[in-house]
Amino acid sequence: MTVILSDLLIAALNEIKDSKTLAGLDDIRVRYLGKKGKITTQLKLLGSMDPNEKPIFGQEINATKKRVEDELQLKKTELKKSTIAKNIETSSIDVTLPGREYLSGSIHPITATLMEIENIFLSAGFNIEDGPEIENEYYNFSALNIPENHPARAMHDTFYVGSDLLLRTHTSPVQIRSMEKEGVPIKVIAPGKVYRRDSDLTHIPMFHQVEGLVIDQGINFSHLKGILHEFINCFFEKELELRFRPSYFPFTEPSAEVDILSEDGKWLEILGCGMVHPKVLENLDLDSEIYTGYAFGMGVERLVMLKYDIKDIRLFYENDLNFISQFN
Amino acid sequence: MRIPTEWIKEFCGIDATNDQMVNQLTMAGVECCFLDSSTQEILDLSLTPNRADCFSVIGICRELAVLNNLIIKTDKHDDLTIHHQSEMEIDIESPNDCPVFMTRIINNIDINRETPDWMIKRLESSGFKSNNIIVDITNYIMLETGQPLHAYDLSKIDSKIQVRRGYNNEKIILLDETIKKVNKTFLLITDNSKALGIAGIMGGQHSGISADTENIVLESACFNHKTIMGRSRILNLHTESGLRFERGVDPLIQKHAIERATQLINEYSDGQNGPISIKQDDESIPPKQPIMLRKKRIHQILGITIANYKVYEILTKLDMRVVEQEYGYSGWLVTPPSFRFDINEECDLIEELARIYGYQNIDEKNETQETTLSNTRKRSTRINRINNVMVGRGYSEVINYSFISPSMNIMMGTDSKTIDIKNPLSIEMSVMRTSLLPGLLQNLMYNLQRQHENIKLFESAKIFTHNDKTNREKDVIAGICYGSKTKEQWGLESNPIDYYDVKGDLEMLFSDLGIHDQVTYSKDSHPMLCPGKNAKIDLDGITVGHVGELSPELIMELDLVQTPILFEIDKNHLKLPNQMHYQDHPYFPSSRRDISLLIPENQETLAILKTIQQLEIPILKNVIIFDVYKGKNIESGLISVALGLIFQAKSRTLTDEEIDRYMSNIKRQIVSNFELKIRQ
Repeated sequence: MTVILSDLLIAALNEIKDSKTLAGLDDIRVRYLGKKGKITTQLKLLGSMDPNEKPIFGQEINATKKRVEDELQLKKTELKKSTIAKNIETSSIDVTLPGREYLSGSIHPITATLMEIENIFLSAGFNIEDGPEIENEYYNFSALNIPENHPARAMHDTFYVGSDLLLRTHTSPVQIRSMEKEGVPIKVIAPGKVYRRDSDLTHIPMFHQVEGLVIDQGINFSHLKGILHEFINCFFEKELELRFRPSYFPFTEPSAEVDILSEDGKWLEILGCGMVHPKVLENLDLDSEIYTGYAFGMGVERLVMLKYDIKDIRLFYENDLNFISQFN
Repeated sequence: MRIPTEWIKEFCGIDATNDQMVNQLTMAGVECCFLDSSTQEILDLSLTPNRADCFSVIGICRELAVLNNLIIKTDKHDDLTIHHQSEMEIDIESPNDCPVFMTRIINNIDINRETPDWMIKRLESSGFKSNNIIVDITNYIMLETGQPLHAYDLSKIDSKIQVRRGYNNEKIILLDETIKKVNKTFLLITDNSKALGIAGIMGGQHSGISADTENIVLESACFNHKTIMGRSRILNLHTESGLRFERGVDPLIQKHAIERATQLINEYSDGQNGPISIKQDDESIPPKQPIMLRKKRIHQILGITIANYKVYEILTKLDMRVVEQEYGYSGWLVTPPSFRFDINEECDLIEELARIYGYQNIDEKNETQETTLSNTRKRSTRINRINNVMVGRGYSEVINYSFISPSMNIMMGTDSKTIDIKNPLSIEMSVMRTSLLPGLLQNLMYNLQRQHENIKLFESAKIFTHNDKTNREKDVIAGICYGSKTKEQWGLESNPIDYYDVKGDLEMLFSDLGIHDQVTYSKDSHPMLCPGKNAKIDLDGITVGHVGELSPELIMELDLVQTPILFEIDKNHLKLPNQMHYQDHPYFPSSRRDISLLIPENQETLAILKTIQQLEIPILKNVIIFDVYKGKNIESGLISVALGLIFQAKSRTLTDEEIDRYMSNIKRQIVSNFELKIRQ
C-alpha cells in the first residue's frame, strides 16, 4: 500500500471516529469518496503506473474505499441510534392526559329492553310482528271476546280518534292480524306502543307491551307455564321464585297473572297470560276442538323498572340525558 | 271492595290466620291484601270483572269455604210480623229488563234513631260513610249479601212505581244532586209523574229518605245485567250498586235481602211491616243450563289429568250440580249455581277446576312443537342496524308520547290533516303527531335547561296523518343536533355542529344500508327548517326525508344561542342491503390530478360533479372535494372548490398522456357548461 493511501485511510477513520453528526459524516464521505474525493482521486494515478502494479494498486484503492464506506455505515447507524435515544429522552408525552373524546350515544332503556325480550323469544322460535297503532273496535276488542259494554272494557280506558277508531290498548290486535295473514300454527310476539287513558304517579297514557301468541295442536297450560318461567329467568338473569295465580282476561281462559318474589319478600305482578279463549279461536275461523293456544302480555316499562330498580315510571318519557344515557 | 276481616270471620268461622286467608284468596283468583298490613283489620279486594259473585261478605265467605271445607253460617230470619196489608202498585214495562222487583212498605219508622256503633264501624271500614239508619241498613245488607237495596220515602211517590226505559233526553236529578240526561238505553224507576231513579245505579233526589221520612218503600230488585252494562260508564257515574248490577246480581236472593233488611230496620228503627209485593217473571230468569265437561278436554287445555273424585269434589264444593256421564269416563254434566254469571261454557268450568286445584299444581313443560327457523334479517336486524349507526355517531335515543299539543304540531305547518283524539287527557296531548321534530325540539330545550351542552338525540317512531279519509301511519326516524362537534377538551378545537356533520351522519347510515349511491339531496322548503339551508332527501327518486338547519324564526322564538340541525326520514324506505356480491380487486397503481375551480357562490357543486360523471370516463375512479373556500384572495361572489380526481384502471398501469387527455376533456366540458374559471 502506498504511504499516501494508508495515510488517507488513517485520517479518514480518525475523522469518522470523531464525527458527531450525520451531516458531518456525509461531509467526510464527500471529501474522501465523492467524485473529487481524496481516495477517489487516487484512481487517477492508475494511468501513470506500471502495468504490473496497476491491479494491485487498484485493489488497494477499492479495499480502502470499502473500508471507509463500512466505517461510515457503522458510524451512521451508531449516530442514528443515539439520535433516537436522545429524541426519546426529550420528546416523551404525558400518557395520563385524557384521550380525544367524541360524543357517545345511547339506546333508550325501553328500546334496549324490547330488543332483549325480542332476542329471548327469537331464540325460542318466535316470530316478531308489527301492526298499526290506530286500530278499530273489532281488532282491539270484539275479536278478542270483549263485546261492547262489557265491564272488561273498563279495564282498558280507551282513547278514541273516530267513531270506530281508537289507539290500541294492547298489542293483541297484531296477533289477530298476523293470524288472519299467516294462519296456524303460529308462534309470534308483538312488541310496541299501547295507549290507555290513564295518568297518575304509576300510570302513563302511553307505554310499551310485548304480547305473545302460540296456537297449534297440543298446546296446553303447562307449556305456557314452562315458557314463561324460562323467559323470566332469562330476562332477570337469575332464578326467581314466581307464582301463577288465577286472573281474568276476556280473551284467555284459564287466565293467570305471574308474580315474582322481590328481595323484600313482596310478590310483584309482572305479566298476564292464559289459554286462548275458544271464542277468540272461533273468531279466527279455527276449530277450537283441534287447535289450542296460549297468549301472554307484559308491560315493558314495568319490567325495566323491576330490573334496574327504577321507582318513577314518568322518567322514561322525560328524556333527560342523565337518565337515558345510563343504559348502554 | 273493602271488608273488615272480623265480618268475614263471623260468617265463615275460618281457622286460618289472616295471612293465610289473603294468600288463599289471592291464589284462587280473588286478589286481595290488607289495607293496613300492621293491623290486618281490613281486607282490600281487587275483584276481576267476571267475579260478580264475590261482591259481598257472603261471596268471599263462599270462596273461603270451598278452600277450607267450611260451612257458611246462614242467618235465619224468623218469620217477620206483618203489621199491615198496604202494598205499592208495581208496573214493569219489560220483565226482560227487570225479572224480579220486590217491595215492602214499612210504616212509622224512627228515622232519628242512631245507627249502632258496630254497624257504623263495619260500614266505615268498607268505605261507606254513615248516613241515616235506613240508608245505613240498605248499604249494610248490600255488603253482606251482594243485593243492592233502595229505600224511597213513601210520601214522595205519586200513586205507583213503574219500571220503564227512559225517554230520549229525559232528565233526572240524582241523590248526589247531579242532573243526568238519559235516553231509551237506560232503565228508570218512575212513578206516575216523575223519575225516581236510574235503575241499578242511583236513586233520585226527590224520593230519597230525609230527616222527616216516616213511611218507606223498600226495593229489592234484580235487573238484567245486560241492560245495566255500560250505563255507568256513559254517565261517568260509578256506584256500588251499578258495579254489582252490571256484573250480575243473583236473581234468587231478593227475598232474603229484603227480609234481612226488614229485620234490621225493625230492630234498630222500629217500623210496621207490610207484606212483600213480588213482581217476578220466571221466564226472564232462565235457569242455568247444564254444561258438558269432558275429561279429555281438561287434559287438552291444562296438560294434566285431574282424578275423577277430585273433579267431582271441587265442582260440588263450588255449589255446582254434578252428574257423572258414563261413570265419569267421558265426563260430567255440570249445572252452575244462579250467582255464577261467569260460568256458561266448558272452558269456564275448566278454569274453575284449575284455580281450585291450584295453578301451582300444574307442571311446567316444554313444547315439543315443530319450530320453523326464521331469518331475522327482515325486522330486528334492520332496527338494530339503524340504531347502532345512530348510537355510533353519538346520538342518544329518546321516546316521546305519540300525542302532542296542537300548538306544537302546528310547527309542522297546517297542510297535513291531523288525527285528533276525541277524549284527550288534556289539550297538551290531543293531536297525533305528524312529525317527530317538535318533540325532539322539546327534548332539546329540556336538556339545555338541565345544562347539557352538546346534544345529539334521535327518535324512531310512528307519525300519523289523515289523508283522503284514511289514516296513515308512517315509521320514521328523526334527529336533532345542537352544540359542538366534540366536548370541550385539550387538543381539539371545538367547532359548532353544522349541516354537513348531520349530513355525514345520514350518509353513514345510508352507506351502512348500502343505499348511499341511490340518495340525492336537493334544496327544498320545509315548515320547520331554514330556507336555503335545508334539503330534501330522495332515494331512487322518491322523497324520503329532510335535513337542515332549524328556521331562524323558531331559533328566535326559543331563544337559542346556536343553530340546531334536524332531520327526519321515512324508515320504511331504509331497506337492508341486498345479498352482496364479492368484487374482484386486482391492484394497479392509481394517479391523482388536482384542479381548483372558481365558481359563483350559488352554483351547486353537485352539478359540476355530475357533468364530470356523465363523461363516463372508465378509468376515473373517484372525485374528492378536498377544499371549499371563500374570502381572502377570492373575488366576492365567488367560491374556490378544489377537486382531486383519482384515476385507476383495473388491468394496467396508466400513462400520463392518457390521464392528461382525459383531464383536458374534463376541463373543456366544465368550462363550457358552467360559468367558472380553472385556477392555475
